[in-house]
Amino acid sequence: MPLSRRDFLRLSGLVAASATVAACTPVYRKLAGDPSAPSPWPTLTDSNFAALSRMTFGPRPEERQRTAEIGLAAWVEEQLAYETLDDQPVYWRLQNFETLSMSANELLDWHSDLFDGVDMETVPRELAQATLIRQVYSRRQLYETMAEFWSDHFNISVEKEDCWYLKTVDDRQVIRPHALGNFRDLLWASAHSPAMLIYLDNQVNYSQHPNENYAREVMELHTLGVEGGYSQQDVMELARCLTGWTVKTDFWRGDFTFNPDFHDWGAKTVLGMKIEPASRAEEGVREAEQVLERLAAHPSTARFIAAKLARRFIADDPSEALVAKGSAAFAQTNGDIRAVLRTILLDGLAQIQPKFKRPVDFVVSALRLLNAHTEANGQLLDYLARMGQVPFRWPTPDGYPAISRPWMGNLQPRWQFAMALARNEIEGTQVEAPKLAEHSGARTPAEVVDQLSALLLGAPLHLATRDNLLKSLKDADDTELPTLVAAGLIASPAFQWR
Amino acid sequence: MSLTTTRRQFLQSAAVAGTAMSATVAWPAWMPRLAFAPKQSAPRGDTLIVVFLRGAADALNMIVPHGEEAYYAMRPTLGIARPDEARVKANLRTVDLDGFFGLHPSLRPLLPAWQAGHFTAVHACGAPDESRSHFKAMALMERGVASETSGPASGWIGRHLATLNTGNPSPLRAVGLGALPQRSLSGPVPISALRSIADFHLGGDPAALAQMRNALAALYAGDDPLSVVGQETLDILDTLQALDPLGYQPTTTLPYPQTEYGMGLKQIAMLVKAEVGLEVAAIDLGGWDTHFAQGGGEGLMANLLSELGSGLAALHEDLFDYADKLTIVVMSEFGRRAQENASLGTDHGHGALMMLMGGNVLGGIVHGTWPGLADGQLFGPGDLAVTTDYRDVLAEVCVKRLNNSALTEIFPNYTATLRGFLK
Repeated sequence: MPLSRRDFLRLSGLVAASATVAACTPVYRKLAGDPSAPSPWPTLTDSNFAALSRMTFGPRPEERQRTAEIGLAAWVEEQLAYETLDDQPVYWRLQNFETLSMSANELLDWHSDLFDGVDMETVPRELAQATLIRQVYSRRQLYETMAEFWSDHFNISVEKEDCWYLKTVDDRQVIRPHALGNFRDLLWASAHSPAMLIYLDNQVNYSQHPNENYAREVMELHTLGVEGGYSQQDVMELARCLTGWTVKTDFWRGDFTFNPDFHDWGAKTVLGMKIEPASRAEEGVREAEQVLERLAAHPSTARFIAAKLARRFIADDPSEALVAKGSAAFAQTNGDIRAVLRTILLDGLAQIQPKFKRPVDFVVSALRLLNAHTEANGQLLDYLARMGQVPFRWPTPDGYPAISRPWMGNLQPRWQFAMALARNEIEGTQVEAPKLAEHSGARTPAEVVDQLSALLLGAPLHLATRDNLLKSLKDADDTELPTLVAAGLIASPAFQWR
Repeated sequence: MSLTTTRRQFLQSAAVAGTAMSATVAWPAWMPRLAFAPKQSAPRGDTLIVVFLRGAADALNMIVPHGEEAYYAMRPTLGIARPDEARVKANLRTVDLDGFFGLHPSLRPLLPAWQAGHFTAVHACGAPDESRSHFKAMALMERGVASETSGPASGWIGRHLATLNTGNPSPLRAVGLGALPQRSLSGPVPISALRSIADFHLGGDPAALAQMRNALAALYAGDDPLSVVGQETLDILDTLQALDPLGYQPTTTLPYPQTEYGMGLKQIAMLVKAEVGLEVAAIDLGGWDTHFAQGGGEGLMANLLSELGSGLAALHEDLFDYADKLTIVVMSEFGRRAQENASLGTDHGHGALMMLMGGNVLGGIVHGTWPGLADGQLFGPGDLAVTTDYRDVLAEVCVKRLNNSALTEIFPNYTATLRGFLK
């Protein structure tokens, strides 16, 4: 797109240093390809809508158009090869978040101040904002759903001690590089992640005072599953292997280190595997690493991960046959996440059961489908908090619930959000419902409802409901009507499901 | 509300019939038809109000052990003067309760409730956790569990609601007031998180609001469970609009504090009187982490206690006619060190206290086993010991006042002892 000289100069400033969001908004929005009105307008009935709703944070018309052209299976392949999908719009939008690319040491230095104390708000807020911006704007939608999936699987709360800044590093070095990679590499990276070691107390796992927390969760929640065939004895023995896995506290604070002084140098047996003590201090770290290899290749892990993916993408209670197929794919490919996901999706999409949108799904899908511009700032996070889900703030290691039941109810904050969004009352977020309606070609109020239903719900409202809705809005004028219809549809029962 | 009854009856019959309500459903075909479990009716108990004092409130300066020599030895500056200490102005002395314990003078507004037998405290009460970490201790206490990674992630009140099916479909069955929904409320039963009751609206100008309300009524006209929740939410919106929360006139001459906490209590009182199905309300009062310049009879903590006490006193009087069906619990994550520190404050301690209010508390005495403050009686680095587990108090509230004896689910892996703090 052509840039004026003035724009170019402002852009240089933006890239060079720390222009504020407000100052650079016009340029980065231009560069990021601010979404224009969706084109082409989606059809009223769309058999791919439900499947796409599962694999995206809300299907934009472009995605619906693409699946109509090439079919779901080909679309899944395109998304699995996410590296080939251009994501410049997201890249530009993230330039405003300085903390995303900083090392642990830099994050701590940057936000410590001798007099004002440590700012523990900015780093986790920027991470949450960046995550939402990726979910809203990225063309790599399946990849982003997987990044969210693994963030829940390897849950770390920014509210636990040094995790407030170390989670940023974990997200960048553990979750995102491996989200569609190999499970063994993901597990390996997570086990060596300072945020994880602190979150699950392994930095206080000493030979004299073992702490079993991480040793237990890595088997119960990250690999084998609670019924996966390990015993309390295995937990204690793995905890012994993990003694000395800790985080630097002085120079290079926040980096992983193995401290031989804390390590238990006796022989151990984990899952029937005898582990001889390492002969040299610097090889002590190999003891637990052998166990990680074993866990990554364990049949219980294959099953546990396949079942969890099926629960996320297909149904709260997926079929045994589907889980078995996913599990077999895991075993055959030595944990290739892409291969397992491909199997789950291609075999499972035909049998998807409705799932209640979690608050992030609800908010992000509303933003995407209404073609919103958003900075995902504090006000948006505030709405999410009242609905019950801010990224990276679930306290316990099991991650935000993946099933519908815990999320059903508490409609009022969702309604309030729908109203505020459609009426442009959320700071840093803008939508243009009347323009959307105009673009759809709708002429009459009934057509406005139909076209916005096609956009937001992928299907028409029941006729009686549509009539009642129109009756209830009979006093609205031409510009009010699309706004209220958009608010109503986002607040509607249908939009709470995906 | 006849509408509610009709809906509930309908749900019951629909659930019994087990039919999918296919013909008139107002959404796309792939949307769910959830099976709705028949509700077993069990009568609800009291309305429970839980006030959480965030930051570890100093129990020793709330209910003051003025009969304890060691207290004054360890708190030369911060100690609250004995009730008969002539060198201190009368309004800054401890308000005697039983010859050994007394109220901090800022809690004097609670004296009438004490005299009516509607107020008491359990001293040296707390959790076994010794981390002295606010984050960890609050999370554990609100979940009602012993360690971070054991037991369910839900909260104890959430599990109480889930195990007592009162047949109450109100979206205001459980309300959390504050910026974030309290962890104690989380669970399978939907809760309403409100900045304030006055915040329970749809936003927008009156004309848009009325249209949106009607639009929602049209969209939530179905008979699936979510639509039922939606209809109840609309009922509450209407009810609250009619109630005019901002115009509520309390039946008390005592003023509610003009703070978020005070306004929250006032709105809870309004909800209780409006009979909109409120069973549990959770509200927070923060600022208790008094490491520096805590103050004694006056100062930082005295001001907080004044806010706490005057709010509870106003609530008590405002809801006096409802006292027999009302239980109020005040708690904090842990107490503070017995010895004052070098910054005229107190550091993180262990034993705390819980306050109980309502028509059915066993008033007239300060409950709990007093462990003493002398050498050899203190716990760890010099803290008040815990002689009553906080779960014993909450369990007794559940069993005796909330009509819920499912303690193995509410407090898993814990065997509660009911100690007789309540009728």
